Amino acid sequence: MILRFGLLGGLILGAGAALAHHSAPVFYKVDERITVSGTVTEFRFNNPHAILKFDVVAANGEKQQWTAETTSPSILRRRGWSQASFASGDKVKLEGMPSQDGSYLMRITRAFREDGTEIGIPAGTSN
Amino acid sequence: MRTLKVVTALAACAAALTGAASLRAQSPQQHGIAGFWSMAPGPTPPRRAATPTEAALIAQIREGAVLLADAGATEFPPGDYGGLNVRASLREAAKSYEPENQTDVSLTCRPPGVIYSMQGPFPIEIFEGRDLVVIKLEYFDLVRIIFMNETAHPDSWPHSQTGHSIGHWDGDTLIVDTAALLPGTLFNNGVEYTENVHLLERFRLADANTLIVTQQFEDAGSFEGSAARIMSFRRGNDHVYPYDCDPTYGLDIESRQGPGRE
Repeated sequence: MILRFGLLGGLILGAGAALAHHSAPVFYKVDERITVSGTVTEFRFNNPHAILKFDVVAANGEKQQWTAETTSPSILRRRGWSQASFASGDKVKLEGMPSQDGSYLMRITRAFREDGTEIGIPAGTSN
Repeated sequence: MRTLKVVTALAACAAALTGAASLRAQSPQQHGIAGFWSMAPGPTPPRRAATPTEAALIAQIREGAVLLADAGATEFPPGDYGGLNVRASLREAAKSYEPENQTDVSLTCRPPGVIYSMQGPFPIEIFEGRDLVVIKLEYFDLVRIIFMNETAHPDSWPHSQTGHSIGHWDGDTLIVDTAALLPGTLFNNGVEYTENVHLLERFRLADANTLIVTQQFEDAGSFEGSAARIMSFRRGNDHVYPYDCDPTYGLDIESRQGPGRE
């Protein structure tokens, strides 16, 4: 499932480094947000940016293979993320910036498990 | 024979203990800047009013220097150099700069120089010794050695992203002078300084848990006059983590699926 919405402010997981080296605006619409739900197929928690791959079944039944990028794992690790945050087969809901070119690519700002539990601590809450 | 082994082991332990004690004795925390520091949230001057310590350090920056408003997470968009008069040839060259190349396997893990890296949103850890101050950056695992017992830059020092740094204390301010830097990005938007850039930094505690750092740098080959930045760091009870950069992450971006990508 894919939802789009405008950015009204609020907490942005990657705000600290979103504009740093390997700039987010190159690939992402940093002022827009989408929500995408799917099933994890791969997660690599490495600097400079972690990569999460997941499958999405669109409303028309189309199976889409998505790629999501995070801010630096160095930053996320202090917010409770780790390589164990995602395992293949996990159902997740991701909020983030849509790609500039409309491809199945996003920059994660917040991530939730199937039961609604947020993964890690959002930026600006305790750090 | 058994007695000999015990004596040898005891001697080794004593030597290790003596060595550890000696190391501690040579690395006193003299000025209170040692420790883990993360960039304080929020803007720094000129995007807000300066605190008294910040104002005192800004007053020590060379008169006429351009105080850049991009310290921390903020970055200037393409073509914006924060009021710095960048050479026309570099402005022209920057028009063909392609930032997506930063995710290329050959460039992803190449660290920016310390001028850019020190003002980024990553933590630093400072170790203060008698003859050295060591600054470990979490960003790209950069390690800076500040020679406190040297007063000049060697002519033959190889250029690098961290350069050659000499330092001294002026009262409560650590002054660090750096040369021998490889050409590197000024703003992450296509303009680079040359290998002749000269960096002067000041480190001063505003209080036990707040470290203010200023940069002042000149490079006649890339811009007129002096440029400056000011950063504020907050003390934490932590260590910097290994960065351990993976150069292949950009391959996943490049191979993304979706409309127009098949």
